[in-house]
Amino acid sequence: MSPELEKCSRSLLVCEKSNFMKEKSRYDIHVSKHYFNYKVSIVIPECASLPASIAGVINRFNSYYRVRDLPIYKLLEGEFLEKVVKKGQFYALSYNTRIDEDNTIAFLPSGQLILSVDKDTYEQLGLEGKPSQYKHRKVMRYVVTIDLTDKLMSPGAKRYQRLITSLKEWVPIKCDLLISSKMTAEEEGGVLQNLLSQYSFEEHRPTLHTNTLKEMPYPSLHPSDRHGDEQSCDPHRFLEWLGAVSMDISSDNEASSFLSTYGCPDPQSLMSHGLLCTVTGFLIPEDIYSLLLELRRYFDEPKITSWLSMTVHGFVDSPVSWGTTEHGFLKSGENFYNFVCFRNQDYWLHMATGSHDGCPP
Amino acid sequence: MEEPAAFERLVYKNASIFHYMKICLVLENGRRNIEAAQFKQLIISGLRQLYGEVGAAFPFDLLKFDPGTLTGMLRVYNSGLVKLWSALTLIGSYQNELCAVRVTQVSPFLLALSGNSRELELDQASFTGEKPLLT
Repeated sequence: MSPELEKCSRSLLVCEKSNFMKEKSRYDIHVSKHYFNYKVSIVIPECASLPASIAGVINRFNSYYRVRDLPIYKLLEGEFLEKVVKKGQFYALSYNTRIDEDNTIAFLPSGQLILSVDKDTYEQLGLEGKPSQYKHRKVMRYVVTIDLTDKLMSPGAKRYQRLITSLKEWVPIKCDLLISSKMTAEEEGGVLQNLLSQYSFEEHRPTLHTNTLKEMPYPSLHPSDRHGDEQSCDPHRFLEWLGAVSMDISSDNEASSFLSTYGCPDPQSLMSHGLLCTVTGFLIPEDIYSLLLELRRYFDEPKITSWLSMTVHGFVDSPVSWGTTEHGFLKSGENFYNFVCFRNQDYWLHMATGSHDGCPP
Repeated sequence: MEEPAAFERLVYKNASIFHYMKICLVLENGRRNIEAAQFKQLIISGLRQLYGEVGAAFPFDLLKFDPGTLTGMLRVYNSGLVKLWSALTLIGSYQNELCAVRVTQVSPFLLALSGNSRELELDQASFTGEKPLLT
C-alpha cells in the first residue's frame, strides 16, 4: 500500500508543567488570550456533587447575546466604538459561519477587528489584508486585521472612513453575531443595549450539565513527574481518557473484544464516584479564569483525590486561536486546553491545536 | 506538602497514534435499530470490498454506538485513517437497503470530539428573565 495513504495531517500538543504560585508562570496569560470559548468541562474524581462555591462561580458567568443580521459597520460607529469596543472586555464572533467556507467576523478584546473572508469579498472590500497562512496552491482566503485603537483608525481619519465605506456601501456585511461584554451598563452608558434594541436579539445564559460518574477507573497522576517518568500516563492517553469520560465511553473492555479494546490508561485507581460538569455557551476568558481560581481552592480542604481537571474548548470556527494567531479548519478545528490542578498547586497545562493552526503559546 | 514542580514545557508534534471519528449511518427508509456488532461488521465488509482481505486487516475500535440515532465513535491508528475514511464514504447499502455514512468529525484528539461548537444551537433557547437552574 502506498505510504502516502498512511500519512496524517499535523497536530500539536504543548504540555507545560509548573506551579500556580510561581511568579513567572504564565497560565493566566494563556487563559486570557484564548478569547472564544465554547465549552468548559470539569472532571473531579471522588466528588459526589458539584460544590456550592463552584456552582456559584458558574452562575455568575456572563450572559451573551445573539444578534440577528447585524451590519458590522454599526459596531464601528461613534459612541459604540469609543465606549465599548475600544475599552476592552468586548467579545464578538459571527454565529453559524464556517471558517473554511464563509466570511467570519471577530472582535477581540484588544480592540482589533478580524475579517476572515473569501477572495471575492476581499477584492470587493478593498481593505489591506494578508493571504491566509493555510492555503493550498491558490489563495482562497484572506485575513484583514484592523487595530481599532490605532490613532490612524480614529473617527475622521482617512483609513477609518475607508473602513466604514467598505463595510457600509461596497460590501455591506451582515451576519448573526454572538456578543459578550464584561462592562456593566453603567460603565458603558447603556450603549450596548441601545444598539441591540434596534435589531432582533436574544440574551442567553451558559447552560450547565452535571453528571455523576460511578465506579470507574481513572488515571493516577503525580505532579512531580518529569518527561520520561513512568509514574503517570502519557498526556495523549490522559486526554483520551478525559474524552472517553466526557462522552460516556466504556473503558472496561477486554483486549480480545470485537467492538472496542479501549481501556483506562495505566497506572490507574478506581473511583467510587466522580463529577463531570460541563458549561456551554459563548464563554469569555475572565469567567474561565475565575472558575480556575475557584477550582484551585477546591484543595483548601483535604480531599481524597490528588487532582482535578478543567478542559476548555475553543470555537472551531473562530479566526484566531490564542491571541491573534490565525486558526483554520482542515479536517477539524480543535483548539482546546486542559488544566490538571494538583493539591500542592502544581498544574499541568495541555494546549492542543490541529493542522491549520499555529503552535500554542 | 510536596515541593512545587520545576517548570517544564514540551511540544509534541503528530504524537497522537490514533485518530477518532464521529460518524452517523443514514438509511434511506429512516432509522432502525441496529446492534453495535452489526454496525462494526458493516464497516469491516466495506473495508474488505475496497481493499481486500489483506488491505482491510488493520484494527479499529467502535468506542461507542447509539442504536437509536445510529451514531458511532471510531478509533483507528493513523496509518489506517485514510483507508477507513474512504471505505466509510463508499458504503452504499446495508442488507439491501440504500444507506450512507456521514462523517461528522475527525480529530487526533478524542477530547476534541466532545466539544464541537458547530453543535451550538441557539434557535430554540431564549431568555425568559430567569437564570437557568442547576441540573
